[in-house]
Amino acid sequence: MTACIEIRGLSKVFSSDKRRVVALESLDMEVVDGEFVCLLGPSGCGKTTVLRIVAGLEPATGGSVKVHGKQVSSAGPERGMVFQEFALFPWRTVRRNIEFGLEIRGVPEAKRGEISTKLIDLVGLKGFEDAHPDELSGGMRQRVGIARALANEPAVLLMDEPFGSLDAQTRNLMQKELLRIWSATKKTVLFVTHSVDEAVFLADRIMVMTARPGKIREVIPVSLPRPRDRTSAEFIAVRGKVLAELDEEFEKARKTELSPD
Amino acid sequence: MVNSMPGTPTALARIKDAVVANWARLVLGIVSISVFIACWASVSYYLSESGNSLSPYLPGPLPVAEAFLDSFSDSVPGLTDTTMWDMIASSLIRVFWGFVLAMVVALPMGLAMGSFRVLDAMGKPLVEVFRPIPPLAWVPVFLMVFKSFWGPIGIVFLGVFFPILLNVIFGVKNVDQRLVDAARTLGAKRGTIFTKVVMPSIVPYMMTGIKVGLGVGWMCIVAAEMMPIQGGTGVGYYVWLSADYGRYDFTYATMLVIGLLSIMTTGVAEIIEKRVSRWMGLR
Repeated sequence: MTACIEIRGLSKVFSSDKRRVVALESLDMEVVDGEFVCLLGPSGCGKTTVLRIVAGLEPATGGSVKVHGKQVSSAGPERGMVFQEFALFPWRTVRRNIEFGLEIRGVPEAKRGEISTKLIDLVGLKGFEDAHPDELSGGMRQRVGIARALANEPAVLLMDEPFGSLDAQTRNLMQKELLRIWSATKKTVLFVTHSVDEAVFLADRIMVMTARPGKIREVIPVSLPRPRDRTSAEFIAVRGKVLAELDEEFEKARKTELSPD
Repeated sequence: MVNSMPGTPTALARIKDAVVANWARLVLGIVSISVFIACWASVSYYLSESGNSLSPYLPGPLPVAEAFLDSFSDSVPGLTDTTMWDMIASSLIRVFWGFVLAMVVALPMGLAMGSFRVLDAMGKPLVEVFRPIPPLAWVPVFLMVFKSFWGPIGIVFLGVFFPILLNVIFGVKNVDQRLVDAARTLGAKRGTIFTKVVMPSIVPYMMTGIKVGLGVGWMCIVAAEMMPIQGGTGVGYYVWLSADYGRYDFTYATMLVIGLLSIMTTGVAEIIEKRVSRWMGLR
């Protein structure tokens, strides 16, 4: 297996006139091809920042980020992203949202239609091709978000708390759907979440981040066979282990918040 | 029935409530207008019966209604071969051209100022200097320089220009950053982001600017046409002329026409706005 995402010594400093915040400090991580990795951490630890840097939406302050050996310098269609608030174009129909990336690459219309039809099938949106986003439920909108990212045939799917704004039932359903889509497309997935349960349910490996400044505290492999049973003793054991790691970081985050700078 | 639970009003009952509420509004509206007309008629009657010298300035509702109807079928007093239709046409044409010119200049300018900080910094002082000047302050100069046709158009242009410009700039600056991020991760570069994300995003802002601009445009055209120098057409001009001839019944009729015209053009803009936003899938 080859390395898909390689991050070495990554650092990120946000500075304004008044404050200077070190969000990430010497962060190293690696994701191999076809792997499903969850990035988990206390809020404000910089997990979304890592994702945005890999996507090329945010410049790094130091260190290097490579995808398939190529240094990341700006956003590009080989790294698809799925957003927490869906970020669908409200004036485009489901089909035209999905075809956005193909359209700007100049893929001919017939070919675009063929690809989007296949993706609409894959994400289970048949019959909603001509609906606009505001006619869809949250879960359906995120299906569009996933299909839109997949249309470019990216090597990596970057997902920023994609189910964070969905209700619990829809969220569980979407997790199963995502695993189905993942096994059908064999994409590499880097998935940011703050839900331990979600991470254990989805991931091949869970990377737990430290409180700010963020780096990888621990990598926990999850070798349970899929579909995973949330009530099984093994699942609960992994969950407990991850929670224990995370709790310490929450405690640290709380202390730094309380202590004066 | 599956959907209706005890205690929830049925669809029929809700429609009935809505109809009743609308009827109530309609009736109240008719009442208030009737009361207004009755007051108007009494004051006018009192003035003329008591031989008050102000009486000619306030004809009753009936003479005004008569003048209103006559003005559309016959030539109006003071002008030959000119009906209200002709004057409406010449005013509409001026508002139309003033509006089109304002759109043609304000839209690209707003897009440019909203997109580039340098242009914004350069354009803003000019906008801030010229915007507070009432368009009507330009009337004397514009009528001398641009004469009776283009002069009023220039005044309308100024009235429509700033609302559209400011709304477009605001729209560009308020483009949802998440949509820009999404477009970038899908492979879009600056130019594509501009045409496929920024342009569609500003449409609702632009429509607001157009609606405000049209209202201001009508106020401007009427005042611009009232200036004695110009060649003698338009509803604004006729307000002035009919009063000169002492035909105040026609003055009031023309005022009514102006109000209706403004309502109609704003209505058209609203219909277009609804169509556009439905077509774009926005609500």
